[in-house]
Amino acid sequence: MYHEPILELGEEPLVKPGSTLHDITEDVCRVAESKMPRAWYVAFSIALVFVAIFAVSVATLFWRGIGAWGNTGPTFWAWDITNFVWWVGIGHAGTLISAVLFIFRQRWRTAINRFAEAMTLFAVLGAMTFAGIHVGRPWVIYYLFPLPDQMSLWPSFKSPLLWDVFAVGTYFTVSLLFWFTGLVPDLATMRDRATTPWRRRVFGFFAMGWRGSNRSWRNYERAYLILAGISTPLVISVHSVVAMDFATSIIPGWHTTIFPPYFVVGAVFSGFAMVMTVLLVARKIFKLERVILPRHLDLMNKVILLTSCLIGFAYATEFFIAWYSGNPYELYVFKNRAVGPYSWAYWTMVVCNVIVPQIFWKKSMRTNVPVMWVVSILINVGMWFERFVIIVTSLHRDFLPSSWGMFHPSIVDIGTFTGSIGVFFAGFLLFMRYLPVVAMSEVKGTMAQADPHYVAHHAEPEDGVSRESAAAALAMEAES
Amino acid sequence: MNDSSKLPPNPLPEVSRRGFLGSLTASLALLGTEGCRRATEKVVPYQSVPEQVIPGQAMHFATVYARRGDAVGLVVESHEGRPTKIEGNPLHPSSLGAVDAITQASVLDLYDPERTPSPLRAGAKSTWDAFAAELDARLSKHATDLGATLRVLATPTNSPTVQRLRAAFGRRFPAARVHTYAPVDAANVHAGSTLALGRAMQPLLAFDQAKVILSLDSDFLQTEPGNVRAHRSFSVGRAVTSPQSSMSRLYVVEPGWSTTGLAADHRLPLPAGRVPAYAAALAAELARLGLPLGAVGDAAATVKATGAFEPRWIQAVAKDLLRGGKSSVLVVGTRQPAIVHALACAVNRALGSEGPVVSYVDAFDPSEAKAADLASLVSAIGAGKVETLLLLGGNPVYDAPADLHVQETLSKVQLTAHLAGFVDETSAGCVWHLPMTHELEAWGDQRALDGTVALQQPLIAPLFGGKSELEIWASLAGEKDARPYDLVRATSRAPLLLESGLTSSGDGKDGKIDCTDALGVHVQYPVLGFEHDWKKALRDGVLAAAKVGAPVLDPGAALALRAPDIAAELAKTELAAPPTRERLEVAFTVDAKMLDGRHANNTWLQELADPITKITWDNAGLVSPKTASELGIETGDVIKLSRGDRSVTIAAYVLPGTADGTVILPLGWGRTQAGRIGNRRGFDVFPLRTTDAMGFAGGVSATRTGERYEFARTQQSDSMEGRPLVREATLEEYRQKPHFAELEVAPRRSLPLWTDVDYSKGHQWGMTIDLNACTGCSACVVACQAENNIPVVGKEEVAKGRDMQWLRIDRYFEGEAEEPRALVQPMACVQCEEAPCENVCPVAALEHSAEGLSEITYNRCIGTRYCANNCPYKVRRFNFLNWHNDGVWNETGGLPETLQMQQNPNVTVRFRGVIEKCSYCVQRIQSHRLATKREGRDLRDGDIVTACQQTCPADAIVFGDLNDLGSQVSKLAMGDRRYGLLQELGIKPRTTFLAKIQNPNPEMA
Repeated sequence: MYHEPILELGEEPLVKPGSTLHDITEDVCRVAESKMPRAWYVAFSIALVFVAIFAVSVATLFWRGIGAWGNTGPTFWAWDITNFVWWVGIGHAGTLISAVLFIFRQRWRTAINRFAEAMTLFAVLGAMTFAGIHVGRPWVIYYLFPLPDQMSLWPSFKSPLLWDVFAVGTYFTVSLLFWFTGLVPDLATMRDRATTPWRRRVFGFFAMGWRGSNRSWRNYERAYLILAGISTPLVISVHSVVAMDFATSIIPGWHTTIFPPYFVVGAVFSGFAMVMTVLLVARKIFKLERVILPRHLDLMNKVILLTSCLIGFAYATEFFIAWYSGNPYELYVFKNRAVGPYSWAYWTMVVCNVIVPQIFWKKSMRTNVPVMWVVSILINVGMWFERFVIIVTSLHRDFLPSSWGMFHPSIVDIGTFTGSIGVFFAGFLLFMRYLPVVAMSEVKGTMAQADPHYVAHHAEPEDGVSRESAAAALAMEAES
Repeated sequence: MNDSSKLPPNPLPEVSRRGFLGSLTASLALLGTEGCRRATEKVVPYQSVPEQVIPGQAMHFATVYARRGDAVGLVVESHEGRPTKIEGNPLHPSSLGAVDAITQASVLDLYDPERTPSPLRAGAKSTWDAFAAELDARLSKHATDLGATLRVLATPTNSPTVQRLRAAFGRRFPAARVHTYAPVDAANVHAGSTLALGRAMQPLLAFDQAKVILSLDSDFLQTEPGNVRAHRSFSVGRAVTSPQSSMSRLYVVEPGWSTTGLAADHRLPLPAGRVPAYAAALAAELARLGLPLGAVGDAAATVKATGAFEPRWIQAVAKDLLRGGKSSVLVVGTRQPAIVHALACAVNRALGSEGPVVSYVDAFDPSEAKAADLASLVSAIGAGKVETLLLLGGNPVYDAPADLHVQETLSKVQLTAHLAGFVDETSAGCVWHLPMTHELEAWGDQRALDGTVALQQPLIAPLFGGKSELEIWASLAGEKDARPYDLVRATSRAPLLLESGLTSSGDGKDGKIDCTDALGVHVQYPVLGFEHDWKKALRDGVLAAAKVGAPVLDPGAALALRAPDIAAELAKTELAAPPTRERLEVAFTVDAKMLDGRHANNTWLQELADPITKITWDNAGLVSPKTASELGIETGDVIKLSRGDRSVTIAAYVLPGTADGTVILPLGWGRTQAGRIGNRRGFDVFPLRTTDAMGFAGGVSATRTGERYEFARTQQSDSMEGRPLVREATLEEYRQKPHFAELEVAPRRSLPLWTDVDYSKGHQWGMTIDLNACTGCSACVVACQAENNIPVVGKEEVAKGRDMQWLRIDRYFEGEAEEPRALVQPMACVQCEEAPCENVCPVAALEHSAEGLSEITYNRCIGTRYCANNCPYKVRRFNFLNWHNDGVWNETGGLPETLQMQQNPNVTVRFRGVIEKCSYCVQRIQSHRLATKREGRDLRDGDIVTACQQTCPADAIVFGDLNDLGSQVSKLAMGDRRYGLLQELGIKPRTTFLAKIQNPNPEMA
């Protein structure tokens, strides 16, 4: 009964052969509709514990002041901004996968884009949280916004921190819209399958009256494409602006023109790693092997390998320039990174980010799930240390040796950092609990059934996406 | 470290709002007309505003502060009756406008909430009346035995009135005895001059006249008496204004780093016990080279000392001293035994520097403070000869020689009464504790080192109801009902001055009384117009015509040198062998912050970094790297030092430049009854100090206890890492290449990215800091703290790196570890014209003023701290916590109200979460701007003086208008030694440095 999909030469199917459109709907919707497996409850409980730790840590921070953290002179920034940049970086995969790969017609993205987008949102929320709580007087943080006031006071547009406010704010807004737009057809499917009035109303509200009509699809595709177009430059801009927090300063180790591209590459790298970490677990628990194939993982690992090499190149360039510039302060900072009191952090970073991912030159490693999971975690660790190295080792020994010092994290530092991971996972687990974790409509569009030349041998059960509508969508996509 | 639970309950006095305002008003009424009004005891509520008080307008009063045999004249700033800031009195010879760090900080002691509010009898609250009754009963009993069992233990005094009352007391109780004791005294100096000149005298040095100075263990710039005036004259002698200038050369021989050692051109770390041998060897060499030392030279040549000295330190130094001739001088530290002082006296006389450089002045207090004096009291008590003992000031239980066992002895006296500001170690062992007034609360008079008498006038009525030492003396002398004001006035009348050592002639008909002191120095004192003179003296702070014991300016003629006596004493002197690993030397050092321990409860001084080690809140046993490796110890190891059956434990700190074999033990730490702030800070080294070893002791063994101790330092890194930070040259190099400092770093080559701001109009504030003058004494740091309401954060926070002082003094070591050189550099915001901090503030809280100040709007600051990161000098401070409440005062529920009274109302108190830094004392700029506007004139150079500049005894800091080409600062900023630190970053610092010039002796190389 099964009809072999029509493939181009060398093309591999993006969905497990033999799957029907209904299988996809079932696989994905089941996750959000059935009772959660025990593993979800275990994971969510752990996440909630860390949410509580986060709440207590932030409360302590607000009650006592920044002194509750280990920040001190000369390391006025430490884990706070490390965490900020780390989370922003993680938040990069979403837009990259959704927007850039969409524009480049990398259709394998459909298996993972919903994940990545949701992850982006929670990661950017984490980043914004750190940006918000790191200030000494959070109760007047609205001074950052250009609000009209009788004193005609404006924020200072000279400051890269203000650029950050706009860059990250824009990024979050666009990512949210992008994610939501992509969700609309799937929300309609959820609505149609809803068995309780409550679910029907909520999904119905957010599905915005989606009927799967040609007109809906047309508008949807247009909107999605426009948002992808808007998002693509943001992939570059947001982390370039974050990089300028450092690059526009005069501190050796920060004052570096390489930072914007270097940060963007690092962000893609860390974002992919975090997608990998989360995806592999979800794939296992929710049995999404049918949708997320080893081929997808292989492709992601190739991106990771590429960005790892670029990062390694950036590290080497920094050292070369430090020597080539003839600037003694700059040279000292880099020597100090390699052999100074924080050299353990530097070498952790190099090993995790540059050396470990090199095993992905081997195909068997690129498709070995346990290996790639461990590697992805190591990359997350390495990328956190990269930000730590940039921030703390540059600050702790700058121009005048008299003001040199060391940074030691406090318990509240550890609480806010680990707590923020808990908040991230709690949000993500809730996302998995209630929303379709894979973009069903998009995946279906990659299936043989969506091919206009596909002839069904038997009638398929009606789903949110009919054969015709999927084919129409595909045609529309080709047109645009 | 704090252990408040063990303290006696020490509540604040209950003061109602009206009562508080009343006492403020009373003090104002007392002072309202700059002291010319008779003291009135009426309490007037503020409804009738005191005359001349303009709210918000500071008033300034002259007074004086006693310091170790010297008195420093002060001008105290007072806001609505609250003294807030101490500055030097330019008219006073021991101040000349400057004061040191301890004096700067003493205003905080006034407001210390732990000062006792009432007399205590056996620990229970009592009253002054009860004490007076008990004392009267005692005294009437003693009237029968003429005071045979009545003793007084006092601290050495500078006060003519106290002297007069003591004499009256002596007449009333002829058999009573007054003992004096101070843990750091001038006994060796006086013994030395007695040996050499036959009289107890204090040398007075004019360092500005000296060309070659050899300091034998003398820290004349910081801890010796007369340090401020010495600092002033030393910096004059070192001033380099052009390549043609000449400057003095300073050799220092000392066991451990001192501020003076830091300023030296050549420094020899030598165990304190070997300094006498060194002095003898040098005298012998000088005699060999032809200096007419006579018998002294012969005796010096025969002295046999174990261990040799580096030849250059004998030969080259001797030659240099001879070359200097009349401009060469030897200065000896009070720690050194009498024979070294006598030798120096002989050498100075032979060199001819007596007169031009050295003069002598009679010791004011002939009984002055010897450990032996205290010992005789202790033995009298032991023999049961003492029934009544009054302890006026001092803290002998804590600081007396350990072998006297003062604490056990005190309990054998029937009635003991201790006059002290706090319930300290001694008060705890006495029947009565009597609260003593702070020096800013009492009337008095103080004689400076050179004999000048200054009047001490109260700035505020006693906050805690204390009495001054003078009042107690008055009641002992039978003048119970006399008010201190009248007593001081009475002393100031010429005939009464005579009681303190002057004889008079003349009948006063010409309006003057001719007074002649024992040395034949003639003083004229006007009889008529006393009221006028009194008012003038109160205003000026000095009694112009009164000098008690004027200096002998030509000692060569007036005082015969007793060379044979010196020679005989020298021959008798046993010279210490060099210390070894097993038999170490300990040298007791007067602490630059705690002095002898009396300032232990002062948060500013606790938090002030030691000028050398940069340790805060602690002292440490300082050892050289070599000795440390021999002993197998490193910084932070707690060691036990044993001498006979006495021992102390102290954490070691390895400090390059300490003499090998010597452990430097700073006095004044490890108090147990100092108060919440001072208790158990650092390590008490007094248990090792005995009557035979007041300065230093040999034969000490050291063992590791295995414990570790953490120090809180404001500076972690001691090396300049080869960076051009403190730029220096020798005098020779400077003459050849005057602009060496500017040329040390290639100029910035890149072009500016934007149009420069036009700073050619109006006032443009700038500052220069002369590294050649700065000695790192840290007076400016405390002055800045007092002026700008800078909070204290506590040891734990300093250890984290969160110290708040706007002005810090960087200290670097250069050269070999065995013979390092130390360089200092005051560092505060340099007010960059292209300030990197300002650009990065997202909320525009940092803006540049039209006059070139980098200004912070605290209200607008949200605390991103980006500016602090981007400051290449790291001079910005962040309020990580609400320091005033969460710092050291956390346990007491916030900054005590009394301490809030010290704060400068013209400077915002910063809340947590905001950045702060040096503002060039913008409040002073503003107030002078307004003042000159009222006067209808423009600001003139010198009108505005920043707090750091004002107090600098070396005149290293100059502030002013860079657009005024005639101003001192613009002349200096255009001078040849000028350089901008890190100016190659293109940030255009407004504060620039003047490079340090050394004057080494080529023969020493």
